[in-house]
Amino acid sequence: MRHLLAALGAAAALGAVAAGPPEPLAARVAPRAGRVEASLDLSAAFPAATERDFGNGLTNVVAIYVSVVPDGSRAPAALYGRVVEILFDVWEETYAVTVKDPRAPQGVHYVLPDFAALRRFLSEARGVDLGPVQALPGAPYHLEARVEVNPVSREQLQRTREYIANPAAGTRTSGGTRSVLGAVASFLLREPDPGSDVHLFRSRSFAPGAAASGAGR
Amino acid sequence: MTALVPALLALALGQAAAAPAAPEPPPIAAPAVDAPEPDLSPLPRRYTIERVVVSGLHHAREPEVRRHLLVTEGDLLDEERVLLSRLRLLQLGWFSKVETRVERGSERGLVVLVVEVVERNTLLVTDLVLGSTGPQPIYGGLGLSQQNFLGRGFGLSGAFVYGGSPAGRPQDPGRFAVRGSFFAPDLPLARRGARGERGLVLGATVLFVRGEELACGDPDCDAFSDDFGAAPRLRYQRASFEGTIGIRPGAFERLLASYRYEALRELSAGGTPAAPENLPALRPGRSRLSALTGTYEIDTRDDFFLPREGLRGLAQVTFGSRVLGGDYEYSRYLLQLETAFGLLDLPLRLQATLGAAQGGAPFFERFYPADLAYFAVGPALARSLELNFSTDSRYDAFVAMGGLEYAVPLWQRQAFFRRGYLALGARGVYSSQVLGGARTRFSRTPVSAELALRLDTPVGVFNASLGYAVDNLL
Repeated sequence: MRHLLAALGAAAALGAVAAGPPEPLAARVAPRAGRVEASLDLSAAFPAATERDFGNGLTNVVAIYVSVVPDGSRAPAALYGRVVEILFDVWEETYAVTVKDPRAPQGVHYVLPDFAALRRFLSEARGVDLGPVQALPGAPYHLEARVEVNPVSREQLQRTREYIANPAAGTRTSGGTRSVLGAVASFLLREPDPGSDVHLFRSRSFAPGAAASGAGR
Repeated sequence: MTALVPALLALALGQAAAAPAAPEPPPIAAPAVDAPEPDLSPLPRRYTIERVVVSGLHHAREPEVRRHLLVTEGDLLDEERVLLSRLRLLQLGWFSKVETRVERGSERGLVVLVVEVVERNTLLVTDLVLGSTGPQPIYGGLGLSQQNFLGRGFGLSGAFVYGGSPAGRPQDPGRFAVRGSFFAPDLPLARRGARGERGLVLGATVLFVRGEELACGDPDCDAFSDDFGAAPRLRYQRASFEGTIGIRPGAFERLLASYRYEALRELSAGGTPAAPENLPALRPGRSRLSALTGTYEIDTRDDFFLPREGLRGLAQVTFGSRVLGGDYEYSRYLLQLETAFGLLDLPLRLQATLGAAQGGAPFFERFYPADLAYFAVGPALARSLELNFSTDSRYDAFVAMGGLEYAVPLWQRQAFFRRGYLALGARGVYSSQVLGGARTRFSRTPVSAELALRLDTPVGVFNASLGYAVDNLL
């Protein structure tokens, strides 16, 4: 009994394993027509190895979410979302890119000649609209970004899920066995890992007036 | 896709904000002057799938994999259907990775859809039994299940439990149970290539049990005070076959019809004869059980290991009759429900079972309350492969169980112990030999609790349970 309790206690002490820490985010904020626009370097989310994924001839989706967060707080003062759809044409050998954000919800289309151009396009996120200059926090703040490559929606997962499990004990449901290693009657209902990549970024702290002066690193 | 934004944004902010401050990044480059110009006239692409190539298969059969694809040769390339096909393959449980890509076809306008898979282990340990009781100082067992038998998605399972000769009776034959099962969860009805239809469900189970039930009628029976050698008992043998056929009326449902035949035999036990009222129900000598069972199953849980939403339900009715060639005239009803939802961001499961057996059901078709409890206060002990190693041989005609289990997730990672959580549970079990009847001293404490560490591994779910330890090892 003591051994069992010790094992349980040790396991509990491990605690939840959190997501990895955010990567440093090089960012520039500048005013434009009374609003704050940010330029971000997201190149760490798009290593050279992503050429194989983005060149698969099927639409790849990159979702970028940026927030302005006062230092010492978790509540964002401003939010921005951008979705980039990338389609490599296997016959034309070009990348068709569609960028959707609140300013262009229907999307702005680009055609990029090669992966180098695509990578540069994705890495340098420009024109990130963070709202009116006056809406920025009056205290030091930082930018946080989350980049998701090929996110799969819950709705898409639900559409393909079916009950096609093999009961481990065959067809007989009565007379159960309670064992150390439990039966896995619904093994095939396992939630799949669709292979989405998630990258978290966090910038340095900006002073309250930084946007007005076009500060950034 | 825009629907993703608000939900994921909240998640993103929560995760990033909780993280520590990042180190200083390198300076950002000045905006490039060669930013691309928008293309104002994008042309939609209309490619036709010339071929579908499935690669990476070693065990799974290609036709079985293709049956789950929602695209085929000659179709216009529909990316949504390609994505859904990929997710469908992942959810089969046969593959750890499924990637899709498009390559040039034999001429312009044609493409080849390549589906690359990485197969996963589908051999699971389903039962690992180890225990000790007074009448059986040591017993154990093992169960294995191949979830992709013949590479066609069939399930083939086998399990055994062995106890050996009972305490105080070294000359007696050993107690054991062996079970084998085959299950075809989705046997295609239509021709190859037809997509979207649901197939037949077929299954078969064989079970052989040689066991005994101590039949003293009192947990403080004098015969239980020494080595159990003189205790009255019922020794029996069961040889059972059950065949099942079914359909899938919905994506999450199964409707099954089963026929079961059992050859039963009461074996000579020697020693002190048991009083008839203390003997578990079984006809003397040889007898036969012949029964039909109808089962409805539904499972909409989002995850078998740590569900946060959904329902799992089973409703089952069994009729045994002389009309079917058996010696037992009875009916049995079973309803099991389990719902899962999130409470304070942690999964909470509610469980309920109702059962009733009417008429002259043999003892093993009645309900053994300890099977439904986390542990039993007193001599009862949950059975192993329908073998009872305890001194409590009370089988009841009515049973009700209600319980809840709260889960505290501990970790999730790419390792052998992929996921783990701490389970805290409580259950109440009521059972009675007659409807509305009183409980007996055998099962007078209706409540049990659980503290368990549950681990999800590639070979099965490991359950380090305090309740199991209390019942079986202490």
